[in-house]
Amino acid sequence: MAAGFKTADPLEYHRSFLKENCRPDGRELHEFRTTTVNIGSISTADGSALVKLGNTTVICGVKAELANPSVEATGKGFIVPNVDLPPLCSSQFRPGPPGEQAQAASQFMADIIESSEMLQMEDLCIERGKLCWSLYCDLICLDYDGNLLDACALTMLAALKNTRLPKVRVNGETGAPEVDLGKRRGLKIRRHPVAASFCIFDDSVLLVDPAAEEEQLATARLTVVTDEEGRLCGVHKPGGTPLSGERLQELIGRATVRQKEIHRLIDKVIKSIV
Amino acid sequence: MIMSDAIFSRPTHTFDGMMEECSPSTVSIREFGCEQNLLSRSDGSASFIQGNTSVLAAVYGPAEVKVSKEIYDRATLEVIIQPKVGLPSVKERAQEQCVRETCEASLLLSLHPRSSLTLVLQELHNDGSLLSCFLNAGCMAMMDAGLPMSCLFCGVTCAIHTDGTIITDPTAAQEAESRALMTFAIDSKEHQVMMTSTKGSFSVQEMQQCIAVSQAASEKIFSFHRESLRRRYSKSV
Amino acid sequence: MKETPLSNCERDFLLKAIQEKKRLDGRQTYDYRKLKIMFGTDFGCCFVELGKTRVMAQVSCELVAPKENRPNEGIMFFNIELSPMASPAFEQGRQSELSVKLNRQLERCLRNSKCIDLESLCVVSGEKVWQIRVDVHMLNHDGNLMDAASITAIASLCHFRRPDVGIQGDEVTVYSPDERDPIPLSIYHMPISVSFAFFQQGTYLLVDPCEREERVMDGLLMIAMNKHREICSIQSSGGIMLLKEQVMRCSKIASVKVSEITKLIMKALENDKTARKAGGKCGFAESMPQERITALKKDETAVEMTDVTERANDIVLNAEVPPQTSQSLLVPLPGMGQVGKDLQNSWGIEEYYQDEEEAFNSDEDKQTMMEVGEKQKVHEDVVEISDSEEDEVVILQPEATDRAHKKTSSSSHLKEPAKSKKRHRK
Repeated sequence: MAAGFKTADPLEYHRSFLKENCRPDGRELHEFRTTTVNIGSISTADGSALVKLGNTTVICGVKAELANPSVEATGKGFIVPNVDLPPLCSSQFRPGPPGEQAQAASQFMADIIESSEMLQMEDLCIERGKLCWSLYCDLICLDYDGNLLDACALTMLAALKNTRLPKVRVNGETGAPEVDLGKRRGLKIRRHPVAASFCIFDDSVLLVDPAAEEEQLATARLTVVTDEEGRLCGVHKPGGTPLSGERLQELIGRATVRQKEIHRLIDKVIKSIV
Repeated sequence: MIMSDAIFSRPTHTFDGMMEECSPSTVSIREFGCEQNLLSRSDGSASFIQGNTSVLAAVYGPAEVKVSKEIYDRATLEVIIQPKVGLPSVKERAQEQCVRETCEASLLLSLHPRSSLTLVLQELHNDGSLLSCFLNAGCMAMMDAGLPMSCLFCGVTCAIHTDGTIITDPTAAQEAESRALMTFAIDSKEHQVMMTSTKGSFSVQEMQQCIAVSQAASEKIFSFHRESLRRRYSKSV
Repeated sequence: MKETPLSNCERDFLLKAIQEKKRLDGRQTYDYRKLKIMFGTDFGCCFVELGKTRVMAQVSCELVAPKENRPNEGIMFFNIELSPMASPAFEQGRQSELSVKLNRQLERCLRNSKCIDLESLCVVSGEKVWQIRVDVHMLNHDGNLMDAASITAIASLCHFRRPDVGIQGDEVTVYSPDERDPIPLSIYHMPISVSFAFFQQGTYLLVDPCEREERVMDGLLMIAMNKHREICSIQSSGGIMLLKEQVMRCSKIASVKVSEITKLIMKALENDKTARKAGGKCGFAESMPQERITALKKDETAVEMTDVTERANDIVLNAEVPPQTSQSLLVPLPGMGQVGKDLQNSWGIEEYYQDEEEAFNSDEDKQTMMEVGEKQKVHEDVVEISDSEEDEVVILQPEATDRAHKKTSSSSHLKEPAKSKKRHRK
């Protein structure tokens, strides 16, 4: 019966839950799903992490490659995040070149790195103008159940925290790089930006950490990225229901609480492995 | 690191001194202009100019929709942003998403089920505040096409200078030397925030100030919207 | 979106009018539409209006490695974008037949005619040369895109300035416009394309066809020529046979048109130069026709900031602070952590944990394995009591129950995955 109701009128189905201040998956309106982080999931990558946010699963592998710095910024390395939404994660995605959502997510990840200054590009430079690291962060969604941005941001942060780069020395005579794979050093992560997503249902009800179906039916989506100092590194609301400043403030408050929680989680996980 | 520390610790006390610091020239929107109905092929078109930044927008529709994109209870809106040099990249995709979802919220799409609307935006010159110019041009073009909308919207970009002052409608040079950049879309009904897109990090207070400034600036833009429409229809009534 | 079809009566009407030497817009057979050339604020940015056809071009440059077979030459790259803005029939990101045709014709007109000194674009032989890229955007399609594109492209190339470079040893420095004045390209001549449309198997001829005329024409002849009356490229399409005299006549008309257009481009360039020198405003923003009622301009306006700070502070201070949730945080094994309300997960982390433990006591492992076999047998025997689910849980999840005995607190979570497996089996 319930399944039939859900298919026939998904909007009304969700409304009947929201009337009772709960959600179809049993959560309260302001409750995040269970978040699980696993680091070092891929042994061949220089850093990796797997995150589950309810059913949404994202895996990230960081691959470090030696590259030549660009002419404009000789003292800086590169970091290239890429979000992949393969057909395996949801039937709504088709094989082929990345769709709009995947591209927008990739751009958002790049924006988080740049805005939060979590990593200084200067740290990735090995020798000025000659050699630098280029970090490829490949984020692959394995199971899509909404709130991709939160999951991706967390996975990327955990993977970068887990990344250990080998020691590289430039040979003075030949100019060729010598990589010592035995000696590895972790990256210096200066800030911990954490994303928290919300959606607005029926122009009024606020839902935290929306699932795929809630996301689709929502009238607005919003992602707030905060760091440990309570600064905002990104407020991304692509459109939808207009919100007042007061309403935004409430969301920012929730995002700050979430940041603390996730920061604690990541710290614990990283410590547990050492 | 030392540098950034200095910047981050600063804003808390610049707030009080804000009003003195802001010379009137920084809190203004550049001269802006708009021409509607300038393309012959499209159903609606507009060019929008903010200072030297200019954008051309064209709207097609409501028209036949591809079966794969058809939505049974409303129109499908597609937004295409064309950069001036090269092919559209990931950055343009992200901007397209912002513009599309803002338009979707203001258009009454359920009045045209199973049809397609296309908004094409062409960058003509980028001298800062490009995303807000895209939004403004898009809104004018949709008005020109006579699409039913529940409200108008406008885009306002605010930059926070390294010394903590807020600049509205920044030029490319001002954007380059700012430490944070925020673009808001404001609706005409209650002057609330429809879209935000930010770059750089900033405090909560700074953001609330920028929203307040954008809301004040949006009133100027909406009065411009009305004035230009009044002028446009002055001879047909 | 599909192109609106042209009805038969429209087609007949157009053809009849052409027979009577009349055109839709009142032009004569050999008349070119009104041509307007404007330059943008950037160097190398040009807008052209040919009647209602509108085209924009932007030239950009980049230092790249040269082609292997031409180490001393710069590279020219042309890209015509048939943006959906120009016509609903154009699709984004798809190479249509028309765009390939226009791109090739533009290349033939501007690259193969050797109108630009490519050798002057070489910085370090075999290593670094300038790549000049011309992006031509169609903004409104009202026929004769080729002529408009060629005029826009050559005008923007003439307008373009590339940054100056300095070479010290093997280091190449690119100077910004503030340090050293940018340098114009060296252009030998300006090829301009002129199009002729033929109707009724070449009986009638029109210069500069508009979109409607293009749709009923039988063939098209495009002649690219410079002001010295040198033909740079000639291309006939549409499969009509032309007589020698017809081609001669067209080339004569083209030479007249080309000299007119060249003069106009030179004048536009001159105007832009004087405007820039005078420090006046230039570019697209200035070229907006303000006398039209569809256009409006507003001067710089100040925004009141009187109560902004107070309002922002009010919002921040009055905001409700959400409760600091102290949610359970769990690190079940190194490198894994979980946060959430009831820590339930389809992953079944506890089971994984169990696996790790089992690695130490393989004896117990064997034992449980045997148990599985035995109990499954039992299960097969007593099919009818399949409702006693607790027993089944034991059968299918020996490790799980094992664990449940050890750690009673976790047993409630383990029911979930076990049950789901049961359903699968059925």
